[in-house]
Amino acid sequence: MNRKPNSNIFSDAELVLLAKKKRSDFGLLYEKYFDQIFRFVFKKLGGMEDTAGDITQLVFMKAMANLDKYEDRGFPFSSWLYRIAQNEVALFFRGEKKNYSVPIDENRITELATEADIGSKMSVEQQEELVEMLNGLEEGQLEIIELRFFQELSFKEIAEIYTITESNAKMRVYRILKKIGKKWKGEK
Amino acid sequence: MKKFILNKEKTDLNPTDVQIKRQKDFSRLHHEYEKVTKRSKRPLYKDPKLFMLLFILGLVLFLMFYEG
Repeated sequence: MNRKPNSNIFSDAELVLLAKKKRSDFGLLYEKYFDQIFRFVFKKLGGMEDTAGDITQLVFMKAMANLDKYEDRGFPFSSWLYRIAQNEVALFFRGEKKNYSVPIDENRITELATEADIGSKMSVEQQEELVEMLNGLEEGQLEIIELRFFQELSFKEIAEIYTITESNAKMRVYRILKKIGKKWKGEK
Repeated sequence: MKKFILNKEKTDLNPTDVQIKRQKDFSRLHHEYEKVTKRSKRPLYKDPKLFMLLFILGLVLFLMFYEG
């Protein structure tokens, strides 16, 4: 009997090899990573289920079409998918004339404020001010903050997305936090 | 353009399992992939424009060699 391969017993590198040989086996990678990437896109968009679904499909479509160009550098396959998803969401926002509001939970802002040495207890007004300050950050800096605090990714995952070392990812995050803290104290 | 705002309404920012299930469809993705990447199965003789182009090209080449 010809049994279908199971995504749980194969490593990412093996799954990629299978998919490179036979594109229908890309379904195993899709099955393994769809939920994760959909959640990521959904949160980045601040909801919008159908748009998140379309963008996620596009992410997997691009990955499937460019699979032959994919090089295994020891990072999980998801880091490549995250990178494609980051680009696709950025393209979506750039292409839209409408302004979108992406909500962030209060506890995420509190965590960021604590890490930035701003304080752990903030009023709603102060939290809103901090969010406004974040909106003024450079795109690249905001992206890292978003990954760490709003998407709640680990330093290891951030490092894999940017193909940098974990300590480098930590350094980047803390440098931005320091900048935020300094700016906050300067304004108060 | 996107702008972050504070989630004052306390809405759930994570998708539900039902939403994920609704959007997950590999057969649709595979079908679209096939549509985009696979060449048209239409035979050459049934594509009049391409047929004419190749015919004229062949005729020009033939005349060039014949005259030469």
